[in-house]
Amino acid sequence: MATKKSRKKANAEIVGFCCNYTVSVEPSVLKERGLVPENIEFKRLPCTGRLEVPAILDAFAEGAKAVFVAGCKIDECHNLSGSKRAAKRVQYARKILEELGLEPERLEMVFVPRGESEPIVEAARELKMRLSTMEGQS
Amino acid sequence: MIIAERKPMNEILGMLDGVKKLLVLGCRGCVAVCSAGGDKEVEIMASAIRLGKKLSNESIEIDASTYIRQCDPEYIEPLKEEGKKYDAVLSMACGVGVNFIADLCQGIKVLPGVNTTFYGANLSSGEWKEMCAGCGSCVLHLTGGLCPVARCAKRLSNGPCGGSQGGRCEIHPETPCVWHFIHERLQEQGEADRLKEIMPIRDWSTAGDAGPRRRVREDLLP
Repeated sequence: MATKKSRKKANAEIVGFCCNYTVSVEPSVLKERGLVPENIEFKRLPCTGRLEVPAILDAFAEGAKAVFVAGCKIDECHNLSGSKRAAKRVQYARKILEELGLEPERLEMVFVPRGESEPIVEAARELKMRLSTMEGQS
Repeated sequence: MIIAERKPMNEILGMLDGVKKLLVLGCRGCVAVCSAGGDKEVEIMASAIRLGKKLSNESIEIDASTYIRQCDPEYIEPLKEEGKKYDAVLSMACGVGVNFIADLCQGIKVLPGVNTTFYGANLSSGEWKEMCAGCGSCVLHLTGGLCPVARCAKRLSNGPCGGSQGGRCEIHPETPCVWHFIHERLQEQGEADRLKEIMPIRDWSTAGDAGPRRRVREDLLP
């Protein structure tokens, strides 16, 4: 009856859930070129609308200090309302993080024009800076 | 349906102090429909507890499951044995489910994962409104189908009160005055004269004020 989930330990400091249509460049290339912080893991999804709240919370439980979700711009989603749904789930996950005593700013939703990697690079860098500020304060 | 909402995480984690093995148990009845305790919410709760425990450097083993209903004995029967594997069962069902498990499953510690709030209707995705108070003495045939017990802040039987202004409730100005609606509805139906009759003092003993209520239908008993 009960189901058990096996959970692998992740070491990434930042996890980015990216819609397949938002990242035009292979994430490994972004890393190799030093465009994004080193300790980042990209998780590609067919659509961010498929992303559920537990996946976001699990990323934190597995060691991530910050998470971002990169979906298509609201009116450009390949699946019409995928990124809109993702944004609502991000909002709910932020509420849970806050209830658990984590800063909701550790989780961010970004809307990216199709095929542009720059906003994702910016989001990753911005989160890294936020983390440094938060850790500097604590 | 019965409407419920997830308890705040600090309350949940407080209940789980010392719990090392937990079953988060959902219900596919009302709480699944109102997105408080169905399969999805069970997964969210399990993940949130894992994260909460990790943040306080505690370990916990969590299993998740969802029963068809937690308010019928045949569905919770497996829990009598299965539940013994856990330090606690966090029920995501309404209070009925939690009580029923506590009654029927001896030796199992059951905890509430949601606050059971009211009987309501689904206005739109993510929005519910109280429509019935389960008072046990329905007067909807006298009030145009609109319930003054559930929907009037003062539960008046002969309203509106003097505070109703412009069709709004004086206690919650954002809420329409149900007695205003009742007058309008009966007027539309050509039954406005009905409002001249004074409704007798209500017998609240049917509303649970005389202890837990019970209903028996002899023709259905085993």
